[in-house]
Amino acid sequence: MDEPVIELTGVAKLFDARGVIAKALDEVDLVVRPQRFVALVGPSGCGKSTVLNLVAGLLDPSAGSVRYRGNPVERPNRRVGYMTQKDTLLPWRSVADNIGLPLELACRALGRAERHDRVEQMMELVGLAGFGRHYPSELSGGMRRRAALARMLIYEPETLLLDEPFGALDAQLKLVMQQELARLTHLRQMTVLFVTHDLTEAIALADEVAVFTRRPGRIRRLCKIDLPQPRDIVSVRFTPDFAGYHDLLWNELKEEFGTGGDA
Amino acid sequence: MAMSAAPPRRGERRLLVVVLRLALAGVILAGWEAYGRLVDSSLTSTPSDIAAVLAGWARSVLWLNLGVTLFEIAAGLVLGVPAGIVAGLFLGRARVAGALLRPIVVLFYSVPFIALTPLLIMWFGVGSASKVMLIALSSFFLLFFNTFAGAQEVDPDLVAMADIMGASRRERFVKVIAPACAPRILSGLKTALPFALIGAVIGEMLAARAGLGNLLMDSGNDFDMAGLYAALAVLMVVGVVMNALAQRLETWLLRWRP
Repeated sequence: MDEPVIELTGVAKLFDARGVIAKALDEVDLVVRPQRFVALVGPSGCGKSTVLNLVAGLLDPSAGSVRYRGNPVERPNRRVGYMTQKDTLLPWRSVADNIGLPLELACRALGRAERHDRVEQMMELVGLAGFGRHYPSELSGGMRRRAALARMLIYEPETLLLDEPFGALDAQLKLVMQQELARLTHLRQMTVLFVTHDLTEAIALADEVAVFTRRPGRIRRLCKIDLPQPRDIVSVRFTPDFAGYHDLLWNELKEEFGTGGDA
Repeated sequence: MAMSAAPPRRGERRLLVVVLRLALAGVILAGWEAYGRLVDSSLTSTPSDIAAVLAGWARSVLWLNLGVTLFEIAAGLVLGVPAGIVAGLFLGRARVAGALLRPIVVLFYSVPFIALTPLLIMWFGVGSASKVMLIALSSFFLLFFNTFAGAQEVDPDLVAMADIMGASRRERFVKVIAPACAPRILSGLKTALPFALIGAVIGEMLAARAGLGNLLMDSGNDFDMAGLYAALAVLMVVGVVMNALAQRLETWLLRWRP
């Protein structure tokens, strides 16, 4: 099979929280192959976001190795797009200027007119049409998430790291955005590492779901989701196979919640 | 309709405040005028005398002196402000240099700049150059301290985001770090502006051949009370205009703030 895009081998991560050493990850092995969509689920605080930070090159592992296309990740990884859980829109830029930022950079600079068109398209796609001139402080939390998503998708990075991208959205919009993400990542042949709390979302979107234990996070079970791609995000939920996966994974997950995790 | 009286209430109130303010100013000036005429002391003057002096100056010494002071302020700020911002941005982001410089920064920040005036007059003479240097130095340091602190406080997540997106070093500065420092830079500027006026006037009072501070001292030396008050009035106007400009600039540059 293809060479892995992302490869974590025996990864542990310790944090020093005011003198107390906390272990966020322990012995994590994970391989993500090209064009695969891998979802990470687990109790909050189990280190899922830490995995994304390691792949993005914002943190170094305390033990083990993190590789991207065969090379150790040692500095910010410019081949990925990363949508963090925290809001990182630039507050002094309008929504349109935030979304267009990646296309202003010299490494992929576009002309003003073309940039404007792409931004308009992207805002349409995430349902922000007409809000281009607003500042982030004037938007709701859900709208800011969508703007951040648009800013990442607009430059079509080969790999997406997404940390609960749809957490703050209402149910209907969530479905629309999930469908768009599925369509776009399939169309552009992107590789995706996706952190979520929502098991249904994970199964509907992903090729593989990794269930994390509570802290220190390890991968408790890695499950291939053999539902044909591309999928219809809504109707796939009503197939018997989907229900089977849901039962299986929920049973794994429930034990992590049941034994006194901090979720 | 009777109801149409309700909406413009806010506008009416504002107009009322303006009228009352003018009335208050009128009362104060009239009281001052009356007191000055009744007591006829050599230490008070009257608004009418001051107005007469101002009218006379407007045809003679005012514009040259005002021009000299404004030139000193402008030249000093042009030299000091951009240099302070650039130095603050770079040293604020250089970890080792930043740590190294911190004590020196604190030391300089503790010096009252005004105390440098005699030294600068010795070095640069009694002309405008010494005042320009005083303002340049003080505005450089005020902008430097503020930008330096701002650059160290930039949200590291925003910088990481730009890094991952592929921003070059220069783009990181121009698109993330510098704008993130804007609130700090503006607060530096809002300290530097009034200080520039103070610096110019004090420099001119100590030793100068022209300028509003010089005009003030000359009037004082002549026991010209109306002249003293007239010079103060001009300084007041200059100060008000400068602060209003700074306020405008801030409102515009920080319009993204909620």
